[in-house]
Amino acid sequence: MMARAVTLALALVLMAAIAFGAPYVVSDYMVRIILLIALNSIFVLSLSLSNGFTGVFSLGHVGFIGAGAYLSGILTLTVEQKHSLLPHLPAFLNWFSLPFLPATLVAGVLMTLLAVIVGYPLMRLSGYFVSVATMGFLIIVNVVLINASDFTRGARTFTGVPLDTSLPWVFGWLAVTLLVLWRLVYSPFGRRMKAVRDDTIAASAVGIDVLKTRLLAFAIGAFFAGVGGSLYAHYLGSFSPVTFYFAMTMNLIAMLVLGGMGSLSGAIIGVISVSILSELLRSVERGFTIGDVTIPALYGASQIVLGFIFILIMIFRPKGIMGERELSLGFLNSSAKIQFKQGEVK
Amino acid sequence: MTNVTRRTALGLGLSAALMVGTTGRSYAADPIKIGFPANLTGNAASLDAPMLNGGKLAAAEINAAGGVLGRPIELVVYDTKSDATVISTVGSQLIDSDKVVGMVAYSDSDSVLALGPQIQKAKIPLITPGATSPKLPSQLGDEVFLACFGDNVQAAVGAEFALNKLNAKTGYLLTDIGTEYTTLLSDYFVKTYEHGGGKLLGKDSYKTGDKTFTAQIAKIKALPEAPGFIYAASLVDEVTLILKQLRQAGINVPVVGGDGYDSPLLLQVGGKAAENTYFTTHSYIGEGATPKVQAFMTAYKAANKVDPENAFAALGYDAVKLMADAIKRAGAVDSAKIRDAIAATSGFDGVTGTITYRPGIAVPDKSVSVIGVKDGKLMLASESAPTFIPEP
Repeated sequence: MMARAVTLALALVLMAAIAFGAPYVVSDYMVRIILLIALNSIFVLSLSLSNGFTGVFSLGHVGFIGAGAYLSGILTLTVEQKHSLLPHLPAFLNWFSLPFLPATLVAGVLMTLLAVIVGYPLMRLSGYFVSVATMGFLIIVNVVLINASDFTRGARTFTGVPLDTSLPWVFGWLAVTLLVLWRLVYSPFGRRMKAVRDDTIAASAVGIDVLKTRLLAFAIGAFFAGVGGSLYAHYLGSFSPVTFYFAMTMNLIAMLVLGGMGSLSGAIIGVISVSILSELLRSVERGFTIGDVTIPALYGASQIVLGFIFILIMIFRPKGIMGERELSLGFLNSSAKIQFKQGEVK
Repeated sequence: MTNVTRRTALGLGLSAALMVGTTGRSYAADPIKIGFPANLTGNAASLDAPMLNGGKLAAAEINAAGGVLGRPIELVVYDTKSDATVISTVGSQLIDSDKVVGMVAYSDSDSVLALGPQIQKAKIPLITPGATSPKLPSQLGDEVFLACFGDNVQAAVGAEFALNKLNAKTGYLLTDIGTEYTTLLSDYFVKTYEHGGGKLLGKDSYKTGDKTFTAQIAKIKALPEAPGFIYAASLVDEVTLILKQLRQAGINVPVVGGDGYDSPLLLQVGGKAAENTYFTTHSYIGEGATPKVQAFMTAYKAANKVDPENAFAALGYDAVKLMADAIKRAGAVDSAKIRDAIAATSGFDGVTGTITYRPGIAVPDKSVSVIGVKDGKLMLASESAPTFIPEP
């Protein structure tokens, strides 16, 4: 218990140091990479709640991110921008403009409600069926974003969103996400989630409400997806429905699976490794010279190499980098209590 | 076994990282760095790849002639994968790590919108070879310049071409409401066509990616009077399908559109159905082109083993030459001075026409080529500047 708290506290202190210190130490480019890593950590952590800990392999997470991004974007546009960019916006939305934080909270809360409505029928499904059904949700969100052009400008770029997302904001929300999920996952409720994941029938036999457990995990995940969507919208400034579709879904799932599906620190490690790897590869694919050897530019090679590395990791570490373990400080051995060894293939 | 593999993999990764970290290039004279982010993979690749080839050709010619201010120029190229997140990351990489003095970027307005806020903040001038939205400078700020005409100009030329050359006093409008470009093009077309005395018999819309246009075509057939022509504000993938389905339904009136048609796909996919189609674009590249364009075509073919794919190759070439010209006129490698030099450009003679920026307006007045399809080949139907230009 102590060790876990110490580890978490150290992580939070480290995050605070990065959030406020990084801009003075590293370049703007590095700040952006750090920001994207933190932002993707929020996405992947919230995804791990349903996909990793509860065994509901959702492909609809990006639907909540996209809807949250558009929602908060509409709320924070200035009144003049609303009149010029969204002339057909209904009257109840076009006379005010919210600051960043309230808009983000609204996005989170509304996405939670949406998740409850969508999840109530969907969370009865298991296995592949829930994946396909949640993918259906993602497609519906995409079609609605394209067709509700009075609100979203349709398939055209939604632009003019104020660039409010800064490192302290993202790390602040990441800390909240981490604290909430940590409390949740390593609590009696967390054990219920894992019981539902590992054996649905046994779980319901001992009196666990499977639907309620899954729905709660799904809805809490959606809250942070909505919040993250808002942060993402205010980071990019302009985006379109295609930003929030299959490519992003696959990216987040790859990070989660690579890091380890049943581990919060695994999720973050997955995000960090994939982000750094794709940034490195993106620079390498431009071609380089070592001594007399010149490697020509091969654009698109980064995606191929990344895919190849994914295959290798899945062959040699099928449970991801962390599997179900959590990263903790080696000298504080009592943290081993929270490790769940089941399914660990040696 | 697993452990060894992991360690080896880690070692390989680390040495790869080290390699990246220590690879530096050295030149005799320090090159002037111009950022050239481009969507070389993803859905904008068929426009951006020729654009980059054109840009590289221009840079090679400039360096062969001694460079600018005694220094060679270097295009710093990154693939931004048609992805807004990668665009914003690459933007800061170019500004912050590569310290470029200016940028030449993109063939579509959406990508420029994603990059814009950063170059605006860093006060680095950007010339877009092919993003034709005349609203970009007002949406983003005073660092953004277009090397191409605005959509208001090409839509106006299309409308006047229909009125005066095709003698079509009645028309029908079909709009793709899925992209910024086609939506704007359509609005500007209506303004000019009606200003010139034309009458639209009807309007209809569809979305990027639609495959069947039966409903839209049935409405055209049901009109009491056949329209003199159809203006289709479309991208090439959809317009080839529209043409095939129109011709199959027995509607053979001329179809007119914008530079979204300017791709080899128009003839390859459209085939016979593409007959009697006209589109406005930046430059006519083909048989019987002007000597300046012919020289560009020869040089492009020598460098890339293929003929220029479309006008975007020439636009990329012009934009890099314009940037180099502005650096020379600025007399210093200084972003603020280069910006002012670009703004002061007057009578710059490019492959795609002459570029002049009127004071405070970052969209050049350029003439527009109208290209028609006749006997399965492209031919120059007209080249003109519009008499009436709708407000951006």
